[in-house]
Amino acid sequence: MRLSLSTYEMELVRKQIGREPLESEWKVIDALWSEHCSYKSSKIFLRTFPTGGENVIMGIEDWQDAGAVDLGDGLALVLKVESHNHPSAIDPFNGAATGVGGIIRDIVSKGAKPIALLDMIRVGDLGSERNRWLLKGIISGIGFYGNSIGVPVVGGELSFDESYNDNPLVDVACAGIVKKDKIIPSVVKKSGLKLVLVGLTGIDGLGGASFASRKLSGEDEIGAVQIADPFAGKIIIDATLEVSDKVEAIKDLGGGGLAVAVTEMANGLGANIKLENVPLRVKEMTPEDIIVSETQERMLFAVEEGNVQSVCKSFEYYEYPCAVIGEITEDKIIRFTFEGKEIVSLPSELLLSPPLYMWGTSTERRGMKPRIAVEIGQAIRKVLTHPDMVSKEWAYSQFDYEVGISTVIKPGEADASLVKLPNGKFLALKGDANPELCLYNSYECGKAIFAEVYRNLATVGSIGVAAVDHLQFGDPRRPEVYQDFVNSVRGISEASKVLNVPIVGGKVSFYNENLRGEAIKPTPLIVMAGISEKFFRPKIDEDQYIVLLGITKDQLAGSLYHKLFGGEEETPNEILYEDLITSKFVTQLIREGKVEFVKDISKGGIIGSLWPIIVKGYSVSLNIDSIIGASRVESKLFSENGGRFILLTQNLEEIISRSRDNGIFSSQIGKVKGREKIGLSLNDKFLDLTEEVDKYYNFLEGMQ
Amino acid sequence: MKYKEFDPDRFDAVILAGGFSFGDYLRAGSVAANSDTMAKVKEMVNSGKKVLGICNGFQILVESNLLEGGLLPNLNMRFISKWIYLKIVKETALTKGLKGKVIKLPIAHAEGRYYHDNPQRASELAVFQYTNNLGEVDEKSNPNGSLLNIAGISNEEGNVIGLMPHPERASFPLISPDGSSDGLMLLRSFLR
Repeated sequence: MRLSLSTYEMELVRKQIGREPLESEWKVIDALWSEHCSYKSSKIFLRTFPTGGENVIMGIEDWQDAGAVDLGDGLALVLKVESHNHPSAIDPFNGAATGVGGIIRDIVSKGAKPIALLDMIRVGDLGSERNRWLLKGIISGIGFYGNSIGVPVVGGELSFDESYNDNPLVDVACAGIVKKDKIIPSVVKKSGLKLVLVGLTGIDGLGGASFASRKLSGEDEIGAVQIADPFAGKIIIDATLEVSDKVEAIKDLGGGGLAVAVTEMANGLGANIKLENVPLRVKEMTPEDIIVSETQERMLFAVEEGNVQSVCKSFEYYEYPCAVIGEITEDKIIRFTFEGKEIVSLPSELLLSPPLYMWGTSTERRGMKPRIAVEIGQAIRKVLTHPDMVSKEWAYSQFDYEVGISTVIKPGEADASLVKLPNGKFLALKGDANPELCLYNSYECGKAIFAEVYRNLATVGSIGVAAVDHLQFGDPRRPEVYQDFVNSVRGISEASKVLNVPIVGGKVSFYNENLRGEAIKPTPLIVMAGISEKFFRPKIDEDQYIVLLGITKDQLAGSLYHKLFGGEEETPNEILYEDLITSKFVTQLIREGKVEFVKDISKGGIIGSLWPIIVKGYSVSLNIDSIIGASRVESKLFSENGGRFILLTQNLEEIISRSRDNGIFSSQIGKVKGREKIGLSLNDKFLDLTEEVDKYYNFLEGMQ
Repeated sequence: MKYKEFDPDRFDAVILAGGFSFGDYLRAGSVAANSDTMAKVKEMVNSGKKVLGICNGFQILVESNLLEGGLLPNLNMRFISKWIYLKIVKETALTKGLKGKVIKLPIAHAEGRYYHDNPQRASELAVFQYTNNLGEVDEKSNPNGSLLNIAGISNEEGNVIGLMPHPERASFPLISPDGSSDGLMLLRSFLR
């Protein structure tokens, strides 16, 4: 097994403990000090996120497995996002499936019932057979796990860019519900508690945390990938929620296996673990492998001695292994023994305090591709047939998005999904990233993605209440990569402040590169949850007026149009206050029933936002001159600057006049026309889009 | 209800719900079909009580030989989650007074392609067929390649019914894409 520690770090360890660690100890340090578990290159900046707020019950500073906010009525929402990028690059099916399993267990370990999943997938160019294999494996892996376990995948993103060749991004987010006073911590506060492990330990996922914290080597690394067993995962959910009243702390076994779970749970206290008591799936595993195995479907509980029997009884009902493997101690030493022999004995303090890094950063901007001349009609066709714009039904139809019978707005129906909550309110969920914009300005991009997801929630009538972030980049030691990381943290923080949505959790994933050593496009991602009191179902119909809210600007850089046709263009600057007031205005209109369909303007610009109407078989008339702001036609049609929505409504005059009262630019830019023709009439010139609509429905479906 | 605590004498009818029993390892429904619980369900069937299997429940009934035929992997070899139209073609405990109606329910399965080696027999057993929104049986409306577009069948007596679509998921107007609640109609008939 390879280690990822640097010579400097190894020197540091020797100095601190005054001896050469055993090989088994190196493995434990390697896992705890891995980027994946320790956040050593990011923590300094993550600490600056605005994590507080009236509604926050559990934020990042608690360093728990997930964040939680108060929903009222005695309920709390638990939210978490995770990726499984490296495992999915090697074994897409198991990599993606175990990603789902892991995030669900993170929610369950707070004592919360998982109610909805999102998945945000980014893969390379589908022209390559390998990328198609990756995509198919990832989608069926997510379906395999989520479907069997009974948690609906209610939405997500599926996006394509050649920078993800070799290194796809597989991000999954999960929301859960728990009674506010029943949230279970991940860490203990006192010694003497028994440590109870459920599940079998096997030889899969050896050294996975370390594997996830370095570049893909191109060598055979299949042994570092975990194998998914959703049936066992389902037992874990049911039985854990059953015993949550009887335990003091719960921790999922994820990256770094027992080594990390025990150390993090002890949280500075010590622990004695007897490895011979760990139930094994295969005989004759070495003690070292038992410590770092990342076999899935395992959970660690800290339990008062008197409750141990009753906790294990719940698992034994399902014939699921449950064993006391050790206890929390006062001596602040993490100790693993096997039949009396000491395998690992290291201070908690050492394991929990890796060196933290602030790498060098540059201020260099990336150049833009030369402009390719294109006529407007052609540009529209190209933008609308880009794989990012096609129907994703091929993917989400492989997910059981109805299980649980609470999915109100389903995948593909609107910009965000809506789920009915037990208290009669509605939970909106969405995840957004914008690697193309981040490439040119990661600070503006940080703001823009946060604002976009906030607007997306507004399109279904909800206001954001909590966000989690996932920051995905290349090698942090490269100045241009670290610049993107730091700037996007700044942008996200600023947006969180202005829009007043606390960041309650997050993840960082570095070392995402292709096999030639080129970093992925910077891909910070925001997942947000919003709440609304009122049921809303979007409706598109003939003769609705199309109203544009907000100002369209000559800022094409980072747009899909710009990606396709290049040119030296200005980068959008996100005016967050505009996002705030337009979003609030939109939710007000939805609450009053004044609008029937709302779409935020993002990918593909105004053309992209009209696309969901056209693919339903309608034609749309668009008056380009009534688009306020931008001077160039291509900006009017394709700019992706923020702060804008289109609304479909019958209440034209009222909306125009009320938007003026609220200080928001608005104009009628068109109308939904009949179903006789399919396409777009631009200042009365008709562009037939029948073929493009065909491609919309058949592109992924026809993929071989 | 937990499966180990199931006492058939306490009930007049049983619904086997959907949901990957025992992970659907080996073959959908096959492990559950060999459980003690299903032996008790068989007792109920033999005494004329009503049994409804939805999705995985249907697969279990087929694997237990309480219903005829088999459920194969979908023709496109993928899990399919989708709202579809069905026509009710036979009166059973689940479809009292509903023959001829066209309803909208969601499906969510990977192994739902109904097969029977005797098509004539299959058409006699059929209770539901996949159709278009007008109730016409056509190939385009067949989501998984089922023989004769069959979505659900019953036994000869009509007290054991299985179907792949989910009536319980189409019982709440808020959840249905068009505000319908066709599934509730079926469940009410079953409870009557």
